Amino acid sequence: MTDRPHLLLVDDERSIREPLAQYLQRNGFRVTAVENAREARIRLTANAIDLVVLDIMMPGEDGLSLCRHIRETSDTPVILLTARSEETDRIVGLEMGADDYVLKPFSPRELVARIKVIFRRVATGGQRVAAIDGASYAFSGWVLKSQERMLVDSEGVSVPLSTAEYNLMLAFVTRPNHVLSRDQLLDITQGREANAFDRAIDNQISRLRKKIEADPKNPALIKTVWGGGYTLASDVRKL
Amino acid sequence: MSGVVRRLIPKSLAGQVVLVVALALFVAQAINFALLMRERNRMLLTAATAPAVARIVDSLDRRDEGRTRQRGGIARVRFQSSTPVLVGKARPDAERRAADILQDIGITPLRILAAEDADNPVPGRWRRLRERIDPERRPPPRRLTLAVEYQPGQWVIAQSRMTTTIPRLNVWLVGQTLILYVIVLLPLLLIGRRLARPLKDLTVTARQFATTGTADSVAERGPGDVRDLTMAFNAMRARLLAMLDEKDRMLGAIGHDLRTPLASLRVRTESVEDDAERARMADTIEEMNRMLDDILSLARAGRSSEPVVKTDLAALADAVVEDFVELGSPVAMIDSPRAVAAVRPQLLRRALRNLIENAVVYGHRAHVSVVPGDGVIRLCVCDEGPGIAEDRMDEMTQAFTRLEGSRNRETGGAGLGLALVRAIMAEHNGRLDLANRPEGGLEASLVLPV
Repeated sequence: MTDRPHLLLVDDERSIREPLAQYLQRNGFRVTAVENAREARIRLTANAIDLVVLDIMMPGEDGLSLCRHIRETSDTPVILLTARSEETDRIVGLEMGADDYVLKPFSPRELVARIKVIFRRVATGGQRVAAIDGASYAFSGWVLKSQERMLVDSEGVSVPLSTAEYNLMLAFVTRPNHVLSRDQLLDITQGREANAFDRAIDNQISRLRKKIEADPKNPALIKTVWGGGYTLASDVRKL
Repeated sequence: MSGVVRRLIPKSLAGQVVLVVALALFVAQAINFALLMRERNRMLLTAATAPAVARIVDSLDRRDEGRTRQRGGIARVRFQSSTPVLVGKARPDAERRAADILQDIGITPLRILAAEDADNPVPGRWRRLRERIDPERRPPPRRLTLAVEYQPGQWVIAQSRMTTTIPRLNVWLVGQTLILYVIVLLPLLLIGRRLARPLKDLTVTARQFATTGTADSVAERGPGDVRDLTMAFNAMRARLLAMLDEKDRMLGAIGHDLRTPLASLRVRTESVEDDAERARMADTIEEMNRMLDDILSLARAGRSSEPVVKTDLAALADAVVEDFVELGSPVAMIDSPRAVAAVRPQLLRRALRNLIENAVVYGHRAHVSVVPGDGVIRLCVCDEGPGIAEDRMDEMTQAFTRLEGSRNRETGGAGLGLALVRAIMAEHNGRLDLANRPEGGLEASLVLPV
């Protein structure tokens, strides 16, 4: 049973904690559910926890503070649950070192998918996602603003991106000059595996090229690597 | 004509005060000038008349001594037993003045005649000297002839010189008025500025508050009553801000408290065995959540924390449409040229999303285009539905209005969508246009100023 990842679920709301713990258990995780930060700290030292699912709004010590504590003491990944959609919560959470966040009410399936993405990354030795930390990335006259999900061109005009375009762009700017296969891109952007005839990535690539390439037919930034996939041919500076 | 006058009248308080004071000063100066002129003329008249009268009185006194004073060969006073015919222009005012003077010293003449004519004596030394010093052309000297009938048929006639220098009263008046203006109007302008600046601050702050829902307090300065006004305004601003903050906190709490049971419900739906049933439950919960979002957004309208940035609206519309396409919604983007405007992109995405959702629900399909036009950019969402009855167009943007009569909707929806769109457009100084398309269907446009 030790190969089942051990999750620590921290939520003061019993009506969420209990059914969610059951659901996660049914989906192949070992789950320890606690209702406050104090208990969570005890469990974190007593057990080998692989990932923490953490509610932000809790009486007593809140989720953000606990998240910071976890980040200071270990590399255990953290997913935040938040009932508030305010940008500030999200950004503060990510600044505190959370790996991902999920807005209530969330789909449990999506939560599981995100947990799996994080485990896969940890397993492959991928670095902590610098992806969604509210930072900006500058490359070749463009700036990708992760907080607003927009590109900003050299004249300071914002170019909003669709969710899929944004995820793809983010994958590129966090891995500049790496060749990324379609499978990798799908995995990174959507946490799913590609089927043989999946053209979704190619469509999104061509949409992105239209937005950022001077000549989309002759791309200079997002280059096609024959047989390999795509690569962002530009240095990226994190702002 | 009155329009021109109205345009010339300054609009500001200080300007109006200065204008009124300047006009009043001018009128006062004019009256002053008139009085001064009168007094001056009177003095001149007296100065011209008095010597002649003095000579007459003197000669009447000496008449018994049988001597007549003469000087310079010119008889200054002569007696005559017939009514004299005076040369020159009759001066009734001098006659009256002479009568007054004689009256004052107790002589009551029977008749007085006065006339003015040119005096052309050989210029004396002094006069020549003066003319050399003062080369300005002086009017020729004048002479006043006064005849008094002191006994019936007995006349005495005397002459005297008149002052011919015309005083430069107009120059003097202009100079004096200018000095007055400087003395009075400059301090007034300073006071006006002192008054106007805090008032302008108040105006700017109030306007900023009205549009953004937040503003700094105004520095309390200027005269006492303006300071009081500023203090009262600041107190009102603080109270309003406190109320708005309280509202935001309350909305945050409501959002949190409602989302928690929704989240609980959402997690529990996963234990429902029937896949279709579970999907429907998830959809309902998602819809409730969206409605909650709409309510919270509408309640917070006008207090957006999102900054305004220059944005390519064509790319924005394209991104929103692409998200719908990804989910398999019947939404299409019509190729549109780049159109840049300063907007709050997340709010605008929200507004456009609401319009597209409506178009899909009521009008089967949505066609989205961005049309740059005359000082505005239009984000148009066209559908293929039945449109809206013309007489109910206005109702459509009121919160909680759903036109059940003309458009059926099986699912819920509090009718908040369009109200939220309108609130977002108001925040952008734009508007929401609704129109039935001639070829059928509704066209909803977000009209944004460039």
